[in-house]
Amino acid sequence: MKRITTFLTSLSIMVSSATAQTEKASTERTTFHRTTSVSIEIKADSAIVWSLLTKASDYPRWNSTVTSIEGNIALGEKIKLKSTLDAKRTFKLKIKEFVPDRRLVWGDGQGNRVYTITNNGNGMLTFTMTEKIGGLMFPMYAKMIPSFDQSFEQFASDLKKEAEKIMSTK
Amino acid sequence: MTQQLLNQEFEGILGQLKSYLVRITASVADAEDIAQETYLKAAEKISTFRGESSLKTWLFTIASNLAKDNLRAKKRWPESVSDITKAAALANKQFIQESIHIRNTSPNGQFEAKEHIAFCFTCISKSLPLEQQLCLFLKEVYGFKVNEIAAILDTTEAMVKYYLHTGRSKMITVFDGRCALINKQGVCHQCSELNGLYNPKQNTQEELMKIELVREAEKGDKEHLFDLRMEILKGIDPFTSKASELQLHHLEHNRQVMEKYLEEKAV
Repeated sequence: MKRITTFLTSLSIMVSSATAQTEKASTERTTFHRTTSVSIEIKADSAIVWSLLTKASDYPRWNSTVTSIEGNIALGEKIKLKSTLDAKRTFKLKIKEFVPDRRLVWGDGQGNRVYTITNNGNGMLTFTMTEKIGGLMFPMYAKMIPSFDQSFEQFASDLKKEAEKIMSTK
Repeated sequence: MTQQLLNQEFEGILGQLKSYLVRITASVADAEDIAQETYLKAAEKISTFRGESSLKTWLFTIASNLAKDNLRAKKRWPESVSDITKAAALANKQFIQESIHIRNTSPNGQFEAKEHIAFCFTCISKSLPLEQQLCLFLKEVYGFKVNEIAAILDTTEAMVKYYLHTGRSKMITVFDGRCALINKQGVCHQCSELNGLYNPKQNTQEELMKIELVREAEKGDKEHLFDLRMEILKGIDPFTSKASELQLHHLEHNRQVMEKYLEEKAV
């Protein structure tokens, strides 16, 4: 029995590691919406990940997909975000949800981006980032919006790298 | 814990405590007041000290709590503090005359680039959020461990790590962009300029090359250069060093200039 448990535990660790290694973004499309999502396991305290996600001016230091964020990331505040995805455009976004160490949502009339942090209880957490864009007019401009997949994967990877580096501070 | 042991320990760390406080508040008077208040509070609460941390950590906790409430400690300065205060100094004949008088008459009025490097870090570190500044000094200069800093600042070890990492990264970036000692494109040459003013007979370049931070600059290892900068701070007591009177006079000047600057900006 003990052997079986050990085997199952090993298998579970292997599956878990495989999930962590995947880090692949996925996109689902419907006529009126597009949803891109990525998840990654991070070996760090949720407070560190939360601090990185909510300190606007610090983003360009660790996140290679964000050129700048102006404003204060706090509930009800408005921010101006410039991204490498569309360097000429400034996204004016509102902070719609702000649950420390757990959930952050910002967005505009076209869509929302949701960040969630889930503690896995073993010094690991799962970070998930999802963005749903769309609306009635979406079919008219859908082809003009670039894929988010690569940018999402890079965002998640940068966050993991930075949070784990901070966590390893002696 | 007895009053006598407290007195012994307090006397032993007083130099470090005052040095920490003056670097946080940029005010000699406030640093001395907080140090005194720390002793009074410690003496009052000595019966509650359970030895869960070292007495030094406990005393730094009391001092840090007092410092966090200190208005001058709370004030944040811009990264360009050196430019702002330099312009003010050049326009203030009395300040320059006083400085030269201190240089010529005080046994603690020597000018050394190393001392100015430490002084400069004190000023520029006030551009960090207070928590980052406190963590950086406690860890890099006063040798506390992450868990001790978490106790001193009443926060989690994770947040101490975050403050340390972000504070350190920010200071590395600021000094890399500003300090001509470590980057030829750096905009600030105050160490050289002031050495020329206070030590006109010295060969400034030769003097600067005596400093390991300057010698190591060409290798371009920014993390190592930051560590060397912190080593300089560790080795200098701003109250007793050979340049203490001159540097504290400069600090007083800078603080007054920055208080006025912040007041004008707030209007």
